[in-house]
Amino acid sequence: MKLLKLFIPILISIFLIIIDFKLSYLNQARQAVASLISPIYMVVDLPRQIYTWIDEQGTSKDRLINKNNNLETEVAKLKAQLQNTYALSLENKKLKSLLGSSYQIKQKKLVLSHVSAISQSRLKKQIIINKGSNHNIKVGQVALGAKGVVGQVSQVMPEYATILIVSDPTQYVPVKNSRNGIYGISQGVAEDRHLLSIDFIEPGVDIKIGDTFLTSSIGGKFPAGYPLGEVIHIEQYKNEPFLHIQLKPIQDTQSLEFVVIVSEAL
Amino acid sequence: MNTQRPYLFLLKVTLFALIVSAIPLNSIMLDVSPFWLLLFYTYWLVNFPANGKFFIALILGVLIDIMHGDVLGQNALALIMASVFIDNVKQSFFVSNLSTQQVYVFISSCIYLGFFLLTHLLIHGLTINYYLMAAPFSGALIWPVVRFFLAKCKHQ
Repeated sequence: MKLLKLFIPILISIFLIIIDFKLSYLNQARQAVASLISPIYMVVDLPRQIYTWIDEQGTSKDRLINKNNNLETEVAKLKAQLQNTYALSLENKKLKSLLGSSYQIKQKKLVLSHVSAISQSRLKKQIIINKGSNHNIKVGQVALGAKGVVGQVSQVMPEYATILIVSDPTQYVPVKNSRNGIYGISQGVAEDRHLLSIDFIEPGVDIKIGDTFLTSSIGGKFPAGYPLGEVIHIEQYKNEPFLHIQLKPIQDTQSLEFVVIVSEAL
Repeated sequence: MNTQRPYLFLLKVTLFALIVSAIPLNSIMLDVSPFWLLLFYTYWLVNFPANGKFFIALILGVLIDIMHGDVLGQNALALIMASVFIDNVKQSFFVSNLSTQQVYVFISSCIYLGFFLLTHLLIHGLTINYYLMAAPFSGALIWPVVRFFLAKCKHQ
């Protein structure tokens, strides 16, 4: 009887591991329990929210005016850059129509969210944001920072969502070299939380230090064209068919405060 | 003490352990930090008589799996196996001095880490950070503080 009391929980946990890893039947149950325990996130994130509130209350008028001026300048610069993008987009559309291509650039809906101060798994590189299913966030959506891709939504609660960042060793991102269009697959480096590696690029291919890799839409997991990382190291080991390429993520997640979630097409 | 008390205490301890394990830490600190739920559950297991302790370990482990976004059952299996060890040395643990208790906590943390990593290796391959190996040491070091704190809570 004692053995039964021990083996049943062990068997259930092994069963859960297999079911959760191989199939997605338990996703709904997971989401439901995650919603139940999400008040814990609220409690943990409370000191940061109080600090932000006090900081906002204590900010002087001069500092706010100064900050506003800086932001207006930044917006003006970005609008100018955007005009160039619009022109390129228009040109692209014309060329596509001339070529008779059915490919269209999709309009995306963006949701701005704050990164919460909550710890996550030791084995996964994840962050928590303060927007969830109540804000139309869904599993699989892509998170962007100001400079590049941050990751992908992996779990959603009503008021929070978890993002598995691109430097996680279990996160595979199809990538493309911005200079010559060479494809590869990036993966996080387990030993270093702030590095990425690229697999499946053969020796002799034109890759240089300083090259930027962008996301590729192969597999449909990530939208194409968002900056992911810059090459910092290239090495070829004997008897190995592929190059060892290391990337430094363009978007630093250490000091990340806000992320934008790319939602469905409008 | 009535029969409900141990489970009420367990509920409080679990909530506290979940909150502590969600406190933001930098990546290295997160890796070397103790397995909080194991420490809190060890205290409860040693100090309270209970039925279905392995089922409780399963439920607590699943809660941690969901909160941390790990594979369901990963922390559960690790917590069950570590609590099997604690349950076997329960009598000795209860009467031992603090340093012997730290050794027991270290061993149970090693068992927890072993099963936790084994599941991860079987699923994702060798993608671990070696700072994790320090977690059993930090668990053993912090045990006196946890024990003191929970003893205070228990008598309130």
